Amino acid sequence: MGSDVLEYGYVSLNKKGEELCGDKVEIIPAADGGATLVLADGLGSGVKANILSTLTSKILCTMAAAGVPLEECIDTIAGSLPVCRERGVAYSTFSLLTVTERGEGYLAEFDNPPAILLRDGASVPLERAERICGGKKLYLSKIAFRRGDCVLLMSDGVVHAGIGETLNFGWDIKEIREFAEIQYDPSLSARTMASVMANACYELYGHRPGDDTTVLAVKYRAPLTVNMMIGPPSSPDSDSLVVREFMAQEGKRVVCGGTSSQVVARELHTEVRAGFDYPDKDVPPIGYIDGIDLTCEGVLTLKRLLQIAEKYVSVSDPDIKLFKGKDGASQLAQILLVEASAVNLFVGRGVNLAHEGLGIDNKTKLDAVVRLINICKSLNKKVEIKYY
Amino acid sequence: MEIRVCIGSSCHLRGSYEVIEKLKKLVADNALEGKVNLAASFCLGKCGTGVTVTCDGEFWEGVTPETVEAIFAEKVLHTK
Repeated sequence: MGSDVLEYGYVSLNKKGEELCGDKVEIIPAADGGATLVLADGLGSGVKANILSTLTSKILCTMAAAGVPLEECIDTIAGSLPVCRERGVAYSTFSLLTVTERGEGYLAEFDNPPAILLRDGASVPLERAERICGGKKLYLSKIAFRRGDCVLLMSDGVVHAGIGETLNFGWDIKEIREFAEIQYDPSLSARTMASVMANACYELYGHRPGDDTTVLAVKYRAPLTVNMMIGPPSSPDSDSLVVREFMAQEGKRVVCGGTSSQVVARELHTEVRAGFDYPDKDVPPIGYIDGIDLTCEGVLTLKRLLQIAEKYVSVSDPDIKLFKGKDGASQLAQILLVEASAVNLFVGRGVNLAHEGLGIDNKTKLDAVVRLINICKSLNKKVEIKYY
Repeated sequence: MEIRVCIGSSCHLRGSYEVIEKLKKLVADNALEGKVNLAASFCLGKCGTGVTVTCDGEFWEGVTPETVEAIFAEKVLHTK
């Protein structure tokens, strides 16, 4: 097993009636596995706020990722933001978090609600050393990430949650911390954790957010490689070679496709047992092969997987992002999108003539594979693809 | 007696889910639970003509959600 990896995800809810969000998250992954992340909240809402937070997050993230000292970044931002005519100020809050691949974190906070560090299910106080920087009061903290740690950055839409709807004075930061502690589960992805927090705000606001609300979760976790075989090799002669290589990989193994699963079972001198349950009648039942973590049907399961993956990657969707279904597509989504930190795809180009004309031909399948690759990459997972 | 229905991609699109639901009902209606065992199978290489169904290894031809009742009656109940 390699070293631990960084994982992050966010949810951003627009103030009711606004098309643009005044909060902005900017993330620049470093080539070595670290990342620079900024959550900015522009003054006001709508277009103006969106411009302020976009400029702030973009400038700060780009400069910080390039190693420019914080003081200079803030000077540049102060010199760049357009001044609001109504309010006479140019203003956007920000939280800046840089993390190296070894989990050394550095957090600078300006006027956002204080970040929460969850460790073993309890919130750990941050150092928050005060420092005046370019005339602004910043709070600086060092965070030495441990496996399972989750840092939550948020905009003030979270602490305002419920004002005018369910809570008189909004959601108290102490209560937010307690809620996060209760919700924390090491098996949740960063994206799921962010969605749990944002969804709670959405409920407190009575589904009508009174302010732009953003939660960004950053998690340090154990790596897991998932190896997935899709489709039989184009020539049956290479069956045994491909299966041997597939079985030699570390991590979890998934076989996707009826013919592929028979090829794998045959090469492993065992058999595929087909399941008989339809938790979702549009997804064929899963199968079972000894030594394989998940065996499922191919192209129809992939199609459904892409549908549910789109909801998972959406940053504006207020629902809690969990895959609880027992059908093949939900199980596949859980393994690929939540559990995996890296995905190895073994894509076979063998053609199933019976599928031609049914709308599930090889081109449909390969298109689905390409979309799946893009989704995994957008979730910052390492993806390797081999075609056979 | 074991009846296996293919749940592969093309059979799924041709209605294997409905065929399975109908077979379950037929087995129950005729009180054959102890005698007929229903199971699923992956592709049996006979894609192309309806949902692939085998009964103790013998292929049933042309099974669809519409024809499954008649074929069941002929092959299992011997009422035709």
